[in-house]
Amino acid sequence: MMNKDFAVIGKNVPRIDSIPKVTGEARYTCDLKLPGMLWGAILRSPHPHAKILRVNLERAKGLTGVRAVITAEDVPQNRFSFIQALADKNIFCREEARYIGDEIAAVAAVDRDTAEEALQLIEVEYEPLPAVFDPEAAMAPDAPRVHDRENNIVYEFHKSFGEVDKAFELCDVVCEDRYLTHQLAHCCMETSNCIAQVDSSGGLTLYVNTQAPHTQRQELARILGLPIGKIRVVNSNMGGGFGSKLVMDMKGPIAACLSMRTNKPVKIINSRQEEFSTAKTRYPYIMDIKVGATKEGRILSRQARVIVDNGAYNDKGPSTLSFASMMFNVLYDVPNTQFDACLVYTNKQFGTAFRGFGNPQIAFATECQLDDLAKRLKMDPIELRMKNLNKPNSMTTHGARITSCGMQECMEVSAKAIGWSEKRREPKKFRGIGMANMVHSGAGSRYYGFNSNDAFVKIADDGTVTLITSALDMGQGAQTTMAQIVAEELGVKMESLKVLTNDTDLTPYDLGSYGSRATFICGNAAKLAARDARKELVFVAGEMLEANPEDLVVKNGVVHVAGSPGKSIPVAEIVQYSVSKKGSSISGRGHFVDTLASGADITAGYLTHIPTFAFATQMAEVEVDPETGKVKVLKIVAAHDTGTAINPVSAEGQIEGGVVQGFGYALMEKLSVKDGRVENISFLDYKIPNSGDIPDIETILVETEDPDGPFGAKGVGEPGLVPTAPAIVNAIYDAIGVRFKELPVTPEQVLKALRDRPR
Amino acid sequence: MNSFQYLHPQSIAELIKLLYKYQEKIRVLAGGTDLLVMMKQGRLAPEYVVSLKDVPGLTYIREQKNGGVKIGAMMSLREVECSESLRLRYPSLPCAAGWVGSPQIRWRATIGGNLCNGAPSADLAPPLVCLGAQAFIQGKSKRMIPVEKFFIGPGKVALGAGEFLRELIIPPLAPHTFGTYQKFSRSTMDIAVVGVAAAATFERGGFCSDLRVCLGAVAPTPLRALEAEKLGTGKSWTNEIIQAVALKASEEARPIDDVRGTIFLRRTLVEVLTRRVLIECLEQARAENQT
Amino acid sequence: MPGTSSRRKSNVKESLAHTIRLKVNGDLHELTVKPHHTLLDVLRDQLELTGTKEGCGLGECGACTVHMDGKPVNSCLVLALEADGSEIVTIEGLAKAGKLHPVQRAFVEKGAIQCGFCTPGMVMASIGLLAEKPNPTREEIKQALIGNLCRCTGYKKIIEAVSEAASSGGARDDE
Repeated sequence: MMNKDFAVIGKNVPRIDSIPKVTGEARYTCDLKLPGMLWGAILRSPHPHAKILRVNLERAKGLTGVRAVITAEDVPQNRFSFIQALADKNIFCREEARYIGDEIAAVAAVDRDTAEEALQLIEVEYEPLPAVFDPEAAMAPDAPRVHDRENNIVYEFHKSFGEVDKAFELCDVVCEDRYLTHQLAHCCMETSNCIAQVDSSGGLTLYVNTQAPHTQRQELARILGLPIGKIRVVNSNMGGGFGSKLVMDMKGPIAACLSMRTNKPVKIINSRQEEFSTAKTRYPYIMDIKVGATKEGRILSRQARVIVDNGAYNDKGPSTLSFASMMFNVLYDVPNTQFDACLVYTNKQFGTAFRGFGNPQIAFATECQLDDLAKRLKMDPIELRMKNLNKPNSMTTHGARITSCGMQECMEVSAKAIGWSEKRREPKKFRGIGMANMVHSGAGSRYYGFNSNDAFVKIADDGTVTLITSALDMGQGAQTTMAQIVAEELGVKMESLKVLTNDTDLTPYDLGSYGSRATFICGNAAKLAARDARKELVFVAGEMLEANPEDLVVKNGVVHVAGSPGKSIPVAEIVQYSVSKKGSSISGRGHFVDTLASGADITAGYLTHIPTFAFATQMAEVEVDPETGKVKVLKIVAAHDTGTAINPVSAEGQIEGGVVQGFGYALMEKLSVKDGRVENISFLDYKIPNSGDIPDIETILVETEDPDGPFGAKGVGEPGLVPTAPAIVNAIYDAIGVRFKELPVTPEQVLKALRDRPR
Repeated sequence: MNSFQYLHPQSIAELIKLLYKYQEKIRVLAGGTDLLVMMKQGRLAPEYVVSLKDVPGLTYIREQKNGGVKIGAMMSLREVECSESLRLRYPSLPCAAGWVGSPQIRWRATIGGNLCNGAPSADLAPPLVCLGAQAFIQGKSKRMIPVEKFFIGPGKVALGAGEFLRELIIPPLAPHTFGTYQKFSRSTMDIAVVGVAAAATFERGGFCSDLRVCLGAVAPTPLRALEAEKLGTGKSWTNEIIQAVALKASEEARPIDDVRGTIFLRRTLVEVLTRRVLIECLEQARAENQT
Repeated sequence: MPGTSSRRKSNVKESLAHTIRLKVNGDLHELTVKPHHTLLDVLRDQLELTGTKEGCGLGECGACTVHMDGKPVNSCLVLALEADGSEIVTIEGLAKAGKLHPVQRAFVEKGAIQCGFCTPGMVMASIGLLAEKPNPTREEIKQALIGNLCRCTGYKKIIEAVSEAASSGGARDDE
C-alpha cells in the first residue's frame, strides 16, 4: 500500500455537483428552453422492412403552428456510421426503411401537441418487404437482405493465439456449450434529447446529453457536410449515459436541419416509449464457447465463436467485439485462444455501446462454463481459478501488459466475506453460492488511435481554482474525481475548486467518458495541470517568503516553508501579489499521453492498446423458490481492484450501481421482440430492479496501486456490472443443480428446468 | 393524450345526468392512475372526462352495526391499506391494497377505480369476491350486485348507461373466518401475473365449513374456483386436501400467454399460491385459537 | 404509431381552456390550462420549476413525485385541472433560506446522488415516508421507494441516506 497521507485523495468528499442536483437547480438538457424554441418530432417507420413509395407532406405543412416538415429530400445525403468505412445510415430513410423506428420525416412546430398532431398528418405509402429478425437466419444465403449487399454479414473478426485444436488434445477435460444473451435497454432516467440552434454565420450549436462531445461534433460535421469549426456541442448535467450516448443518434442532425429551415432553435426529446421501442440496445451475443484444461486445472485452450445480432445499422459492433475478444484472452492468460465472430444485420433496433462493452456477454459465458469445468475436474470453483491467476507485473501471451493486479486478493477477500467455505461445506436446500471473476480495461483503450488528454488550471485572485477538463460527468462522479486530484496535487481545499467541462468551444479535444477511462486519462492530465500551476505558485511564494520554492509546502490553501507552518500565506494573496506586483497570472497546463510499450503500433496493436487492467470478483448467495421459480438473491459481495480509490464512496456507488444492473441483466431484463416489434415498451413491462428487489450488497475496494494511474487510481465505471450475472447463475447451479445458459433466468425457465431435470 | 372536455360535477345527481347524457363518449376520472395511463398510451380517447374530485360523499369507511363495513368508491388505496379498522376485520383488503403499485400510486388510486378499470388482474377483486362484497351502483336507479358479477370481461364491467360505482358493501363475516391475498409478480412493483385470495370459515377441530377461493389474472375476469372450493368445504383440512384444492384451482384457471407470463407459469403459480393462501388461513385460525 | 407518447389533438371540438388556482411552494398561482395538461406539464413548462422530472409519463418511475396536499403523488398522472385548489410542494420548495432539508443533506453526505435525475423524486418520496413513519426500518424504506426508479446508484446509499435522515430527526423541517 502506498503512503496514504493524503489530504483529499481517498477521502469521501461529497460530490461537487450534489447540491444543485438535490435542490432541483441542476439543469439537464431536457430542462433547457431557448427563446423562440420550436418542438421537433420524428415520424418513424412502423414496418421492420419496407420500401417507401410515396410521402405526402401537404396536410402536415398546412396545420396551423407547423413551421417546417422535412424528409430525405430536404437534408444532406451523406451516409454515416461510427466507423465511417461502414457507413450505412442516412439522416432519413431514402427509399427503404429497415427497422421499426427508422426515421422517415420530421416536423418543427410551436408546441409539442402541434408537432405530434402534424406527424399524424404526414401520409406515407409503404410496400412491406420481407424481413429477417434472427441473426442465424439472416446468415442463410436466401435470407432477405437488410441492405443492398451480397449478404447480411457486415463484419467479421478473427483473432487467434497459439493453436487451439492441438492444445485441446492435450486437455483432460473439455467443455463445449452455447450461451445466449438478448437485447437490453439502457434505461437512462433522462431520455435522449437535444436542442439544435443555428446562427446567422452558419454556425450550429447542439445542446445534447452526450458522453463524447468532441467526437459527436465530428460526427455531426460528417453527416451534415459542415466544417467542424462551425459546430459547437454543449452538455448539461446528464441523466445517465451507460454507453447509449457515445455515438450520435439522428435526433441531432434532424434537429439541426429543422433549425436551419426555420432559423429557430429546435428541441427533440424521446418519450420513454420511443426510447424503448426505437433506441439503440446492448448487442445480443450467440456464443459457442469451448474450453479445455489439464486434470491439474491448468486451462490450456479456449475458443469462441460469436454471432452478434447487429440490428439494422452499424454502430459500435466491431469495437465491442474486439474488446470482448481482448477480455476473453486476458482473463487467466489462456495461452491458446481463438475468437471468431461476425456481425449480422437484422431488421431490428441496432446495438451500441452499453456498460461493459461486450464483456458482460462474454464473461457470462466463460465464467459459467468455467464452473462447469471445475465441477468436471472435481475442483472448487475458486481453486480452479487460483490455478490460472493473472499476476501483477506480467505480460500475457497475447501481449497485454498487466501492471497492477488484485485478482488473487479479490477472490480471497470476497470468499471470506460471503463465507464461501462454510456455505459450500454445509449447503442448505435450495440455497447456493456462486462466483465469477472479471478483467476489464481500467483506462479506456488506444484503439481509436488516441488516448491522451489536456487540462488547464487557473487560479483567481480570490483563491478559486478552476479546472478546465474534458472529463465528462454523466453521474459517475468524474467532475469530483478531477477536483480531488487537482486539490491534492495543488494543495488547496476542495471548496475552492470549480470544474468546467461541458462545452467543446472550451474544453480540449477528448474521446469522451466511456471505457472507464476518465479517471486514468483525464485524471492524469488534471494532475499534471495542477502540478504546473503549483510550480508557478511556489515560485511567486518563494519571492514573498524569501525562500527556495523547493522548500515550500502548499496545504489547505496556504503556502509555508516546510517545518515553519506558523508563517504562511494564503493562495489568494499569492495570486494577488503575482498579478499586481509582477504583472503575471498563475495557471497551469497538463498534457498527458498514455505511452505504449516501445515498438507498439497503434493501428496494428491489439492488447497493447489497453494501458491498465482492472480486476474483480463477485460472489452471490441465492435462494430459489422451487415452487414459483423465483430466484431471490440474498447477498452479493463485490471485491474490486480499483487501484487507489480517489473517492471511496463514489467508487462504491459505481460498483453498487453496476451490481444492480448486473442483477437486472441476470434475472429480469430483456426486450421482448416479436416480428421486429418491441412488445415491452414501458417500465410496466420492461422491469428494471427497484429498491424492493435488490439484494444486500457488500463492496470491498481492493486498492492495488497502479503505477501509471493518477495517485495510483484505475477506472471503475464498468466493472461493477461484468461478473454479476455469472456469479448469480453459478449460485443458482449450486442451489438447484441446473445450469442456465441464457439470460435472463426467469421463474418460468427455473420451473421448466426443475420439472425436466432427470431424477 | 388526445384532448377532451373536462367536466367536474358538484353532486351525485349532476354526475349521473352527465353520464347519462354522454353515454359511451364519457369516462369517469377517479384517481387517474389507470385512466390517464390508457389515455396517454392511446388505448382510450374519450371525448368527455368527468371528474369525481368535487362530488361529495364518496370517501369513507363506515363500520356497520351488523358488523359489516361500507367503503366509499373514492377511498384511496393508501387509506384502505392503512385502515386499522379494515385490518382488524378484513385483513385481506389492506393486504391487497398494499400490493398495488407504489405509495405514490396508492395515494391517488381508488378502490372504486381498481374495480371499474375491469382488469382481470385487479388486486382488490379477489379478496372482495371472497368476502362476498356487493357493488352498490347508482344511475337513474340504485342497485346492488355481487362484485363477482361486476366484472364482465377484460376492461368491461357491469355498469350501464348513466351508472357509476358508488360504494362497496362488505357483509359481516361468520365467526372464525380468515382470509388473505397473495400475488406473484415479476418485480416488487408490478401488475399481478397471478393473484389468489381465499376466505375460510373454521369450526371446532379445524373443520372448514365455508371456503371461497378467487383467482386473479388467469381468466377474462377474476374467477371463483368453485370446484376447488367444494373440495375444501365441509371437512377438516389435511395436507392432501389442501393440495387437492390447489390442484383443482389451477385446473379451473383459464390463463393466456402474454408479455407477463405464459400459461404454464400461471397454472403453476395458481396451484402454489392457492396452497399458500389456504395454509395462511389455517395458520390465522390456529393463532386465534391460541389467544 | 409506435413509440410516441401521443398527445394528439382530437379532431372533434377545440378543447376549452380552464383557469386553475393552486399554491406551489407557498406561492399562489392562477394559471390557464387545457384539460389534457398534467400537473407535471404545468410545473415544468408554465412555472418553469424544472426540478421535477419526466422519466416515463406513466407513473412507473417516480421522477415526477411531488407532494399534493401533503401526499407524495406522481404528477404525470394528475391532470392540472385535478390540482385546482391544491397545495403543491416540489423539490424547489424544500430548502429554507439556503438551508437544506435533513433528507437533502443526508443524500449529499451519503453519496446517494450520481446522475441526479431520480433524486428530486426520491427525496420527495422519502420525505413522504418519514412524515408517516419517522423511524422506518430498512425494509420499510425499501418498500416506500419502490415507485422511484434509479439506474445509477443501486439504491443502497439512498436507503442509507433516508435512514440517516430519520435518525437525525429528519421527519421535521428544522428551521
